[in-house]
Amino acid sequence: MRIAHCAHAFAALLIGSALGLVAQQPAPPAGRGGFGRGGPQFDPAAVERGQREFVTTCGFCHGSNARGGQTGPDLTRSVLVMDDDKGKEIGEYVKVGRPDKGMPKFNLSEQQVSDIAAFLHREIAAAANRGGYKILNILVGDPKAGEAYFNGAGKCSTCHSPTGDLKGVGAKYDPVTLQGRVLLPRGRGGFGGFGRRRGLAAAPQGPVTTVTVTYPSGQVYSGALVRVTDFDVTLRDSSGALRSFFRNDDVPKVETRDPLQAHVDMLAKYKDADVHNLTAYLATLK
Amino acid sequence: MKTTRYLLASGLTLLPLALFGQGLDPALLLRAPTDAWPTYHGDYSGRHYSTLQQINAANVKNLTLGWTWRGNFTSFGAIVGGEGPDAPAGGGGGLGGGGFDGPSVKAIPLMVNGVLYFSIPDHAFAVDARTGRNIWHYFWKTQGGIHIGNRGMGMYGNWLFFETPDNYIVSLDAATGKERWHKKIADVKQEYFSTPAPVVIRNHVILGMGGDSLDVPGWLESRDPETGEIQWKWYTTPRKGEPGFESWPDEYAAAHGGGMPWQPPTYDPELNLLYVPTGNPNPVMAGQSRPGDNLWTASIVALDPDTGKMAWYFQCSPHDTHDWDATQVPILFDGVANGQPRKLLAQASRNGFFFVLDRTNGKNILSKPFIESANWFKGIDARGQPIRDPEKDPKVEGVLVSPNSDGATNWPAPSFSPDTGLLYVGTSQAYAMFYLTDTDARPQGYGAAERGVGSVEHSLRAIDYKTGNIVWKHPTVGGAMGLLSTAGGLLFGSDGAGNFVAYDPKSGKPLWHAGLHANPSNAPQTYLLDGRQYVLVGAGDSLYAFTLHP
Repeated sequence: MRIAHCAHAFAALLIGSALGLVAQQPAPPAGRGGFGRGGPQFDPAAVERGQREFVTTCGFCHGSNARGGQTGPDLTRSVLVMDDDKGKEIGEYVKVGRPDKGMPKFNLSEQQVSDIAAFLHREIAAAANRGGYKILNILVGDPKAGEAYFNGAGKCSTCHSPTGDLKGVGAKYDPVTLQGRVLLPRGRGGFGGFGRRRGLAAAPQGPVTTVTVTYPSGQVYSGALVRVTDFDVTLRDSSGALRSFFRNDDVPKVETRDPLQAHVDMLAKYKDADVHNLTAYLATLK
Repeated sequence: MKTTRYLLASGLTLLPLALFGQGLDPALLLRAPTDAWPTYHGDYSGRHYSTLQQINAANVKNLTLGWTWRGNFTSFGAIVGGEGPDAPAGGGGGLGGGGFDGPSVKAIPLMVNGVLYFSIPDHAFAVDARTGRNIWHYFWKTQGGIHIGNRGMGMYGNWLFFETPDNYIVSLDAATGKERWHKKIADVKQEYFSTPAPVVIRNHVILGMGGDSLDVPGWLESRDPETGEIQWKWYTTPRKGEPGFESWPDEYAAAHGGGMPWQPPTYDPELNLLYVPTGNPNPVMAGQSRPGDNLWTASIVALDPDTGKMAWYFQCSPHDTHDWDATQVPILFDGVANGQPRKLLAQASRNGFFFVLDRTNGKNILSKPFIESANWFKGIDARGQPIRDPEKDPKVEGVLVSPNSDGATNWPAPSFSPDTGLLYVGTSQAYAMFYLTDTDARPQGYGAAERGVGSVEHSLRAIDYKTGNIVWKHPTVGGAMGLLSTAGGLLFGSDGAGNFVAYDPKSGKPLWHAGLHANPSNAPQTYLLDGRQYVLVGAGDSLYAFTLHP
């Protein structure tokens, strides 16, 4: 895109580019990591039996998803359930019931109780594990409007063509991935969570930022940008070798070019409807 | 008031000193840190500013390595405590340490009488501040919990206090590292995990906790430093009948409304007010079951540390739906507002707003975004609180929001220098798509998925507290960073790419740097020992102490 000459704007551009390398790694599997998370494993057959048993026996009061009903509380937020170990505490509770609050006792087998417990614990774990949340139908946009935006205000057609580089793109990616690649085709940035800084040398996905290093003598080096700070710059040259250089204020001159800068610049300009419409349009390019 | 407090502090000083020998003199907590760093923030103000100037702008080019320390994160050679199994269940955490890239020092080490005290998840260390050698190592057998980090310790006389990922407060004898007692704070099975550094005020050990994966209540509590017994609890959401209850639809929603206070609070000894920044409401991103402002989540709250009674609140993100905890440091300093000398509190908040309040009463003086990309608000209300744009709440089809949930900044401590009148903060301008995934009338947990789509800029910024204007900014590779300013005309921080950097606090120009093996992972601190100033920073599993050789 543009090569900035003003030192400050230039530095900002550098950093924006370098960041792409840092921030666009795939999402970690679940939650905030560490143990106690992404850990519990459930026997799917037990969960299924437990769910059936729950809906039949408990669902009338506690809701079929256990989140509470007309008369019974939300069991996915129950401290007793959270503290339960494989149905032991739940079993003892159910055996006695809570007559003063209108809950009768139930005669359930050990297996039935343990299945119900497996279902409840799975429900809680699923709520806690945000890495496993399923994104719903996001194809709500107007493909026609998306096409108009593509060729008009979005200026997408400046670089892209539905019969060229984007041919079949709607078949290649699921809608969420497609939407992510529209916004920044460098790969997905994962979900939030401060502290997940990763190494700068990680290979970026998609088009790479290039850098030109020019010494006052006229000597020039160029290649793919690997790292740039106030004090050094590293590139990978056409032979695949890494080369690093000291920086001392403006010497050598360091210029980067991010082929995706137009995408970065668009982030502040999109309306949500533009994003939805563009996605809907590109999804039609099967 | 001032005299009373002083006398009280002095009275306390005399007795414990006789009792504790080499322990912490509480008077050190009441002045700017020089020959001690006795609490997480260095002092109660949260400024992360030191009056030391042996290392200064003129000689910083000669700053050099004094020593390094690298942690042993096994139980080998350690004093062992804890309620968990010998070998931790599950995977991913190893023997503790935390972080996503292995053990990471996020604590700011205390320095008292030549000894550094700090903790990381499941471990506590005492290290010789002259040499970087271990004095003792304590290892906690954990029951689990999220091992994301630990901010360090609090100290009372000769007693140390730290929290664990499985939600215990542990008290150690500072001289030996031997455990005095441990007490359970919260239930790890409810997805609580505890990261804050306890803050000690007179005979109160004040602590909070974290954990927003399930919809559980948050609170701050005070414990007796001798016995560990609870003195008071303050819930971050109101119970029925309390003021603020009207900001929730019902008792049930308020009691499951989150608001974890997971950052060490700051404190004004003259006003005897504790300033507590609170976390996001629950369910985190699906707000349909909690219409209303959801007090006192994502707020700054002033409490009486003796009773836990609330004096005032200011809400940074009414009805937050983007995980924007307001748990950034509420920085206390005296300044000028509208031509009048005022007792101020400033916060660069995760949602992208810079707030200045009158800390005597919580009245807003200034609210202004400190990043340009923030796109989630429609304006500022009469109380100075941002008015959220409901169109930017997470939706099934997705909405593009800046900042992302990591925020314009995050937990690493910013710095305020009274010399420049500038507040320094590491910032990000990142965007993410927020997709509502739980459309149930009673959503659970986060209730939405976030997908990052890129950043337009990360920079270190200097904010003029009088105007909220950005006086300078300097591009960096990472955003939020721990900072320390000094009377030596220096601002220590990082560049997000593994360099520990001394910046010119007036311009942001780098004056000195050292490439470390990992990016700095805490806020630097500084101390004077035997007449020599050290600047200490944590980076991953290591500490680096820099000094000027004589």
